[in-house]
Amino acid sequence: MVCALGIEGSANKIGVGIINDGKVLANVRRTYITPPGEGFLPKETAKHHREAILALVQASLKEAQLKPSDLDVICYTKGPGMAPPLLVGAIVARTLSLLWKKPLLGVNHCIGHIEMGRLITGAQNPIVLYVSGGNTQVIAYSNKRYRIFGETIDIAVGNCLDRFARIIKLSNDPSPGYNIEQLAKQGQHYIKLPYVVKGMDVSFSGILSHIEELAEPGKRRNKRKKQQDEPEPDYSQADLCYSLQETIFAMLVEITERAMAHCESNEVLIVGGVGCNERLQEMMRIMCEERNGKLFAIDERYCIDNGLMIAHAGAEMFSAGTQMPLEDAFVTQRYRTDEVLVNWRQD
Amino acid sequence: MPQQANVSKPNESTIKVPFDTPEHAKIAYRVLSVDQEPRRNFVQKTLSLEDDVLVVHFSADQVKNLRTAITSFFECLLLCQDTIKLFGPEQSETETQLKNNAGTQSSAHTA
Repeated sequence: MVCALGIEGSANKIGVGIINDGKVLANVRRTYITPPGEGFLPKETAKHHREAILALVQASLKEAQLKPSDLDVICYTKGPGMAPPLLVGAIVARTLSLLWKKPLLGVNHCIGHIEMGRLITGAQNPIVLYVSGGNTQVIAYSNKRYRIFGETIDIAVGNCLDRFARIIKLSNDPSPGYNIEQLAKQGQHYIKLPYVVKGMDVSFSGILSHIEELAEPGKRRNKRKKQQDEPEPDYSQADLCYSLQETIFAMLVEITERAMAHCESNEVLIVGGVGCNERLQEMMRIMCEERNGKLFAIDERYCIDNGLMIAHAGAEMFSAGTQMPLEDAFVTQRYRTDEVLVNWRQD
Repeated sequence: MPQQANVSKPNESTIKVPFDTPEHAKIAYRVLSVDQEPRRNFVQKTLSLEDDVLVVHFSADQVKNLRTAITSFFECLLLCQDTIKLFGPEQSETETQLKNNAGTQSSAHTA
């Protein structure tokens, strides 16, 4: 029986969750939403988190109907992510740990996603596709580590979607990816885009540059001299959203299928913010059915960054006996998934 | 503070922050001691405790760097203080505290 409070703040969401022996007691979250055409910057995001975090901690305790003394461990996101927002969670977690005299654990953000996905879906040993605004990885468990089979060699898939949403000035509320997904449903024509799979790895930055050119022809006129009387493009923003989704999701399905074949696994788990895209889930489900496999996907409460996943992963570490002295409770922008020894899994 | 550092890094600043109790000062001291200054910032930060007062000493070769270091330190300090105020044993479970604190936090770091 481990009761854990988790604080997540590695990107533009700040969340606090409480879990008791695998049972969800509270999961509260606030998102820093920027105006259309603008991304979130580290300093401003940290300011947003500082103003929201204490109220969230209070709200989570109230929702869980717990007193601080009922908790066993305080967990926070150690990395990877943007340093200033990460630090907000770390400072509060350290202070609470000392005030309430509870042990403190720093959790790898990617591990949080994986363990939360496994808990909610009950998947035993799946190939994990972790897709979000900052990460794109295909992961398989082997010998006490979550090993990265394939990943992006430049920007994350969510970053590609977010930046395209900015180019065409889509709203960031509730999230740029959600608005692209809605607009893509109206898409009629598939426009051919570069398809960039390199072995087990993928690349999105070239696709983004290419579609940027399609979305705003003439913006880069000095780079390539274009004729003044160029015909109006015969595709809409919806067509571009549709084509972008189809292309990049196909790339992700391809590398996931190859990882399945290599590991002889028949389970796929999708986690991370892009994981709540229903078109990605649909494409992955088709691939899984063709291989007689099974897809595990979760909804936005657990897919998108949340404090609960940090609490859950921390609780797993805690019950396996992991300890962390306060001096090691720093944050780190780079923290790879395979750096963590998975001492709580017995297989 | 090493003597030689003062010769080559003449800009210095010492901040003294009083807390309600020595215990709270110690908590803030331990919380804020964890984070190292970024290596490229060329600022030396030393924390110490004098009973219920947290003493922070900064020294840097450029005033600009000193300001950056102090600004980011204050952001962390204010957050830590607010957390102690809201969740410290003396004032725990008081709902009204939060509104007051949220106000001071947002206005305090606009400078």
